[in-house]
Amino acid sequence: MSEKSDTILLKKSSRSWLRYLFANWERTQLVISFALIALVGLISAFTKSPYVLGILVLATLYAFVGITWNIVAGFAGQLLIAHVIFLGIGAYTTIVLNNRFGITPWLGIPAAGVVAGLLGLVVAFITLRYGLKADYFALFTIALLVTLKTIFLKWKFVGSALGLWLQLGNASWKNMIFSTKEPYLYIAMGLLALGVIVQYLIYRSKTGKYMLAIREDESAAAALGVNTSLYKTLAVVIGAVMAGIAGGFYVMYVAFVEPPQVFDLGFNVEIVMASPIIGGLGSLAGPLLGAFLNKPLAELIRGMLSAETSGTSLIIYGSFLVLAILFLPRGIAGALQDLYNKIFPHSADDLPGGD
Amino acid sequence: MTLQIFMQTIVNGLFTGGIYALVSVGLTLIYGVMLILNFAHGEFLMLGMYIAFGAFTLFGIDPYVSAPIAALLIFALGALIQRGIIQRVLNAHPLSQIVLLLGISTLLMGLVQFFLSANPVNIHVSYETSVIAFAGLRFSIPKMVAFFTALVIAVGLYFFLQVTKTGKAIRAVSQSRPAAQLMGINVNSIYMLTFGIGTAVTAVGGVLLTPTYTIIPTAGQAFSVIAFVVVVLGTMGNFIGAFLGGLIIGVVEALAGFYLGGDVKIIASMLVFILILLFKPAGLFGRKQA
Repeated sequence: MSEKSDTILLKKSSRSWLRYLFANWERTQLVISFALIALVGLISAFTKSPYVLGILVLATLYAFVGITWNIVAGFAGQLLIAHVIFLGIGAYTTIVLNNRFGITPWLGIPAAGVVAGLLGLVVAFITLRYGLKADYFALFTIALLVTLKTIFLKWKFVGSALGLWLQLGNASWKNMIFSTKEPYLYIAMGLLALGVIVQYLIYRSKTGKYMLAIREDESAAAALGVNTSLYKTLAVVIGAVMAGIAGGFYVMYVAFVEPPQVFDLGFNVEIVMASPIIGGLGSLAGPLLGAFLNKPLAELIRGMLSAETSGTSLIIYGSFLVLAILFLPRGIAGALQDLYNKIFPHSADDLPGGD
Repeated sequence: MTLQIFMQTIVNGLFTGGIYALVSVGLTLIYGVMLILNFAHGEFLMLGMYIAFGAFTLFGIDPYVSAPIAALLIFALGALIQRGIIQRVLNAHPLSQIVLLLGISTLLMGLVQFFLSANPVNIHVSYETSVIAFAGLRFSIPKMVAFFTALVIAVGLYFFLQVTKTGKAIRAVSQSRPAAQLMGINVNSIYMLTFGIGTAVTAVGGVLLTPTYTIIPTAGQAFSVIAFVVVVLGTMGNFIGAFLGGLIIGVVEALAGFYLGGDVKIIASMLVFILILLFKPAGLFGRKQA
């Protein structure tokens, strides 16, 4: 009965736009996501502190990287553990194109997406061709991480063990080099907004539903006629392309890349896993909620401890992961969803416009 | 290359392989019983190294003497982590298990860096460069001791699993969790025991490395990866397979290091790993998967 009265209450309020925005949990998450992006924009309008802006740039980027992994691991349920390889390949593509060929990052970053996507295609093809599942797939990606790290450490063209410093041209939008942090933040925010939309569209599409079916039960999905190979490949390639783009932007921002930095499981935990796991893997707002909680919190804790000590970020992100898995298995988004269901206790049938 | 250099490379590879074997035996035991991949495995080896380092610098205890201390301490820590944390995710999605163990691994590395230092340290013992020359080959004493100790522990553990009642209970759980439970075996205690044993032997492996190996908080990561290679090679969950796999990978790495240079020898292991994953994922000792 309460369902009915709530619906009426909403109608009575006659705020149809409000009803539209919060019509279902998916759309509500979209609202939360854009509210978070807007909040970042708002904070940036009120502060000039490079420290705060720097945290915001990275948190925004982490949220975007989180989305790329969320599609592979959260939607399609693939144990692509060492997802950071795509980010690393993307970073190297952009910086090599910039340094060696003088190609602007505006082309270099999409190129990073293409190269990472090709790597994703190879990974998907090999693992599917040989039917690697679950643990074996996880181990395969880690083997790939170690192999890439070793190759890049030896490869002179990409700076080998010394890494590559970004060759800085004049500060300009054309070179994507800026003397202040604001422009970086605006680019990151644009990237994240795009990521949120892409993720939502995938989730809403048939493709997304097939991915979820594969996550829930791959053999059942296959038995029902879902082309599991196709949709697993799609998930991996989409995630890889987006992670490659993220890597391209990352290297433009930090202006340096070396193999032990990007091809590293600790970095993988921090930039890839922590946000979606804490925010809620498989949810739409999870990567953003996680990233905008994690990164500032981690910086806060790091700031309270002595700057001289090392290992604090490892401790912080490691304990975040452990605590989230143990006490918040559905993440922040899961808790918010419970809250949402309490406020709007309607069943799925009478969702206006919900699919 | 002459036969002598070849033989020397094989000997060196076997010596390193002994440690790989010990570490991998621990990993495969945990996997066989609990069906989880211990992504924090190498970190227990790293902790073993630091226990040896602490005992040596604080009390002047020889690393070989501190091996049992490390085994006890890490057994307790492993059992505690299993009961307090890992036990809760045994029935969760594999992704949650992997993320949790990666979290534990990251946390342990961070704690060591935080409370000690991220800088590498060494233990200097009088015998660290001693060698025995025999039949034209040179046998490094610390590496030989490490190899034979690892061998003895692995064989001892094997007989413990075969002969004792507890060992049989562990094997029973690895064969079938529900059946073991019906036979009155306390499965949860077996999990705790297994994780403790698996991490303790790994820590001993770390201790045995200290006279010849640089100690650093990230030292465990390479060993985790190698142990995964070995365990897959020797069939996941197979004790003897893991032991032989360790020796094989040790020799493969030594030969690769000789021909290709020391810093790319890991590529050889990875190549073996990827080939095994692709063409024989059940490992050398596994039956063909249905």
